[in-house]
Amino acid sequence: MLNEERIILMTRLAAYEAGEGKKNEAIGRYFRSDYIGVQVVKSVISASIAFVVLFALYILYDLEKLMTEIYKMDLFEFAKNILLFYAVTVVGFAVLTYVVYAYRYSKAKRSLKNYYNNLRKLASMYDKNNNY
Amino acid sequence: MTNLLEIKELIKRIYSKQEVFILPALKFLLALVVLLSINRQLGYMGRIDRLAIVLIVSLLCSFLPIGCSILFSAMFVLMHFYALAIEVALVGFCLFLVMFLLFFRFSPKDSVVVLLTPLCFGLRIPYMMPLAMGLVGTPASAVSVGCGVVVYYLISFVSLNANSFRALDEGEATVRLRMVIDGMLNNREMMVMMAAFAFTVVVVYIIRRLSIDHSWTIAMIAGTILNVVILLMGDLMYDINISVLALLLGSVVSLALVAVLQFFVFSVDYSRTEKVQFEDDEYYYYVKAVPKMAVAVPAKTVKRINAPTGRSTHTSSAKQPIRNNMGRNSAARNSRGRGGVPRVGRQAPSRTISTQNNDSNENYEEV
Repeated sequence: MLNEERIILMTRLAAYEAGEGKKNEAIGRYFRSDYIGVQVVKSVISASIAFVVLFALYILYDLEKLMTEIYKMDLFEFAKNILLFYAVTVVGFAVLTYVVYAYRYSKAKRSLKNYYNNLRKLASMYDKNNNY
Repeated sequence: MTNLLEIKELIKRIYSKQEVFILPALKFLLALVVLLSINRQLGYMGRIDRLAIVLIVSLLCSFLPIGCSILFSAMFVLMHFYALAIEVALVGFCLFLVMFLLFFRFSPKDSVVVLLTPLCFGLRIPYMMPLAMGLVGTPASAVSVGCGVVVYYLISFVSLNANSFRALDEGEATVRLRMVIDGMLNNREMMVMMAAFAFTVVVVYIIRRLSIDHSWTIAMIAGTILNVVILLMGDLMYDINISVLALLLGSVVSLALVAVLQFFVFSVDYSRTEKVQFEDDEYYYYVKAVPKMAVAVPAKTVKRINAPTGRSTHTSSAKQPIRNNMGRNSAARNSRGRGGVPRVGRQAPSRTISTQNNDSNENYEEV
């Protein structure tokens, strides 16, 4: 015998699993620290690549000037400035990533909690049906 | 207003039924328009400046995710840049890469703005983008709109200075590179536009989130005024020669378009028809869940209930239209078919309006 209420709930759960749930499930498999940690590492790598690309452009842009002044300039000071700029960029980006992904993790967990509650409700419907 | 609501419901109904075709068609159109605009403005590489190529790529984009449209558009731009000068392509590539690495990794949904913003610039209504993104996006959308502005000004700069790039010798690679980078970094109009758009996005977002009546309308109008004021101030401060008439006209048209979008697109939940499959111990279920409609298209039935003397009483009525309903009561539940899919066709509660005609002494009941 078909149970309408149960089918509606199952449809909603199946729709969630096929859409938003897929993404949230992937997030929910991680511990909070692991998930945020992975994303921060990815962001650090991304920021490093972006920094290298922009630095390369800067070098190409000022190539002639650099070539003429390379023997006069304080290379140690130059490297220190570049590294400082790199550190500020990467740390700033990592902090931003931490905030964004901490929010996303808590949102996904809330959504999954609701999904699991609905699953429990569905299981109780089946139990009720079997008892009758 | 009722007619507009009816049109909105009609669009919603058509979309929910034909979503499978409408979405790819929209993606195809977007890709086609963007690629044709790129070819028209740049068009340095003859091999990709062909309608057949554009149509094939647009068709590909119609069934691939929207990110692919952005990728193909970026590839088209870079190939045209490469045909002009490799240094220009290098700067373009670095710019796109940095945008992707630093921003669009976070919010891939916003990346379509990078396509739409240059398109709106081409249509002389760029002021639409910050308003629209403030209404549907988040403050982070300011960055995506800013990226769109940068892309537009890069393409525009290269297009305007194409002859200068060609005039330079092969050996003057550094000069070409410096020319592009200087052209971008010293472009005050671009900077003012980015600042104005970023402020507008944030202000529109803040106002539309306020718990006040007509917050969306107030947000749109305030955003438009703020945008115009910032651009005029920028014009005065940096002498960027913005056409005041074009700015005012563009802003008014943008406001009108955003108001139309807000009514028909942003404030409507175009819930999709869900087709899901699942099973339990007893059955396999293949369910098609169709979203319900809130407002029905009314059909007027005139029923004469008090005829003048000497005429025979005549009652006419037309069939109530079939409509979907919100159905949150028990009657709606009882009307559901098997399998949990609601049956259409439950009658709507009728609205009665009585009007009296003194001359003919007739009463009409409109149902």
